[in-house]
Amino acid sequence: MVERVLEIGGYAAGYCGRLFARAGADVVRIQMDSVGPAWASDEAMSAFLHGGKRLLSTADGQLIAELANAADILIVEAQTANALSAMDFDGFSTPVKLAMTPFGRTGPKCNWNASGNVMLAMGGYTHLMGDPDRAPLSLPGHYLEFQTAALGYTAINACRMAGQHKVIDLGMFETLLALSQFTSVRWQCAGEQRERHGSDFWYVVPSNLFVCADGWVYLNIVPSFWDPLTVFLERPELLLDSRFLTNDLRMENREALHAIVGEILAPLSKAEIFARAQACRIPLGVVQSFAEVLDDPHLQARSFFAHSNARDVQPWRIPENPYCINGERRTVGLGPITSEQVPLWRA
Amino acid sequence: MAGVNGPLNGIKILDLTHVWAGPLGVRFLADLGAEVVKVEAPYGRGPQQFPSTPIGGWIGKADPEEPWNRNALFTKLHRNRQSFCVDLKQADGRNAFLELVRVADVVIENFSATAMRSMGLGYDALALANPQIIYVSMPGFGATGPYSERVAFGPVVEPMSGLTNMLGYGPDEPRNSALAIMDPVAAVHSAAAVVEALRQCQITGAGAYVELSLHEGGVTYSGPWLLDHQMGHTPVCMGNRHPNMAPHGIYPCLGQDQWLALACVDQMQWRALCGLIPGLAQESDLQQRQKAADDIDRKIRAWTQNQSKAQASELLQASGIAAGPVNGAADLFADTQAQFRNFFVPYEQFDTPMPGNPIHMAGLASHQWTQCPDLGANNHDVLSQWLGYGDAQISALEDAGVLFNRPPD
Repeated sequence: MVERVLEIGGYAAGYCGRLFARAGADVVRIQMDSVGPAWASDEAMSAFLHGGKRLLSTADGQLIAELANAADILIVEAQTANALSAMDFDGFSTPVKLAMTPFGRTGPKCNWNASGNVMLAMGGYTHLMGDPDRAPLSLPGHYLEFQTAALGYTAINACRMAGQHKVIDLGMFETLLALSQFTSVRWQCAGEQRERHGSDFWYVVPSNLFVCADGWVYLNIVPSFWDPLTVFLERPELLLDSRFLTNDLRMENREALHAIVGEILAPLSKAEIFARAQACRIPLGVVQSFAEVLDDPHLQARSFFAHSNARDVQPWRIPENPYCINGERRTVGLGPITSEQVPLWRA
Repeated sequence: MAGVNGPLNGIKILDLTHVWAGPLGVRFLADLGAEVVKVEAPYGRGPQQFPSTPIGGWIGKADPEEPWNRNALFTKLHRNRQSFCVDLKQADGRNAFLELVRVADVVIENFSATAMRSMGLGYDALALANPQIIYVSMPGFGATGPYSERVAFGPVVEPMSGLTNMLGYGPDEPRNSALAIMDPVAAVHSAAAVVEALRQCQITGAGAYVELSLHEGGVTYSGPWLLDHQMGHTPVCMGNRHPNMAPHGIYPCLGQDQWLALACVDQMQWRALCGLIPGLAQESDLQQRQKAADDIDRKIRAWTQNQSKAQASELLQASGIAAGPVNGAADLFADTQAQFRNFFVPYEQFDTPMPGNPIHMAGLASHQWTQCPDLGANNHDVLSQWLGYGDAQISALEDAGVLFNRPPD
């Protein structure tokens, strides 16, 4: 039986619903006047998030309650705990209900006002990004919302699989804290606070952005790749250079090593560097423009982008899920379906 | 041997993941109640002697006796699991693993695209042993395509996702997050994919091959920008500003390297900000504020730099404005919200607090959590309880050097 999913809220709710739509669920999204400022145009956000869903523009509380009570799954994203309660979230009888809020439903900050940059700052991410002698950088985009949504999707499906009726309380702040790399353990166990170092990963050397003839490339040379790096650089004598014998020594002499790497890469093109990295099997990525990402031969060979079908006006290429099951991309129609096209379910 | 209480009780997972993305994804599944056996190579946690202190330090104390069991970063990622340390390159080890596969629900790994196949343990081999197995493979660039053989870590995948066009101080000053941010994207989606495949298996009875690419996780994250680009609104790097909010930034506060994040999400918040900070024009709409962003930022800086980040946050929040401190590690543990919700949990050795589970629901309880097991600590239990092996059988494997509980000399 196709599951009925009711989705209310902003970009986290939208992404959670997107995962359900791609898994074959019947997703009805309640369209609201404003869901907060996005990092892309409304048109782009809608095409990315809402393909295959039914959109219903209504503020009719009774209708929303009817839909919620008839749904198998309710996804709600609210700006605060109070805003969630004001929607009568607790009154709905949906078997599995997910509440996504910035700080969770309880606690002294559960009604704090939030934005993406505020959450990323409070969650420990911003402190680590950017140059040490300048303002830290906030992470652009909807990382916070999409990550919270995918966790919510996991929790909902776990409950559905177990046949359990549950209310799930998911705070975005805690999502960020849970996704820290080693910020918290380094503080607790090594007594050291992790700091920001520009693009330099710092703990393995060289790991940094380097300028080349037509852009930038990123190297990330963990110790086991030091030997092949010297082949890649066509500087085998570096293997015997006493400044670079171990990662600790390379950390001590990072500026000298970065200068050598930078000088070698500067005259080469991204394509040359990328090809050479593949031949030498070292971890290297090139900075791709959006056009280059869209035309990337690897992504094309893997049919990663969904293409438009006859119903769609524009031939947009939409990134699909980063996972596929049995080789299937869970493509859905690229545009949302209006509620008039398919009758709504009711309790 | 069952997992902690949770909706995934009864699900058996064989976890062959390493580094960050894979273990983090599995941690979410273990926290939801799955019974997870970490299948580890004898050198999976490093050698007997570490050349230097690991990146996250040691659990408990410096220079621990068994350093491979005290790596704090590894420990953080591996609660609620059992450790089964086996040499899969030996026939007996491989056979024992395949027997575990027969009774497991999920096998998950994040090796290179060919590693498991080269050991004769690819999906085809595992599906022969157990047609219902969910096999999750997480190679950096996926299992197919021209880059599938490339070496991939989070930081090198990031620039190929499109994110570097947006992250930096401006279009000519791109930055890498240096946080390997594609790893947690893949981690969270791996957990989502496992449960989606399990549900599908529950309905169809068939197993599944799940493939997840670190690279594609990053490109999905850039999805809205990629669409905007196609629609003719090519997004550009704006530093800490935002295309649809102003002001939106990171502002200096009292003290060295102390900062505050602030955003006016709507007109109401802007008006409230005008009530706090002198010299701001209350009637300005978003477009006007974007044009005057330099001047507005200057006035906000003049206000924030005389206050602590905590003070400024409280004042702004009291007026209904989205604002908060830029927290370093020490601040995270001191945060009253994290403390109220008991986010950091001291279940680990020496009562070391570890990040908790953001998923809250009735029935999940962190007091049941078990510490990261020592290497090979559960070899006996796994073989006896999952497969019914007797003591003599297990001893024979130990004597033959197939099972390990410390890295080889």
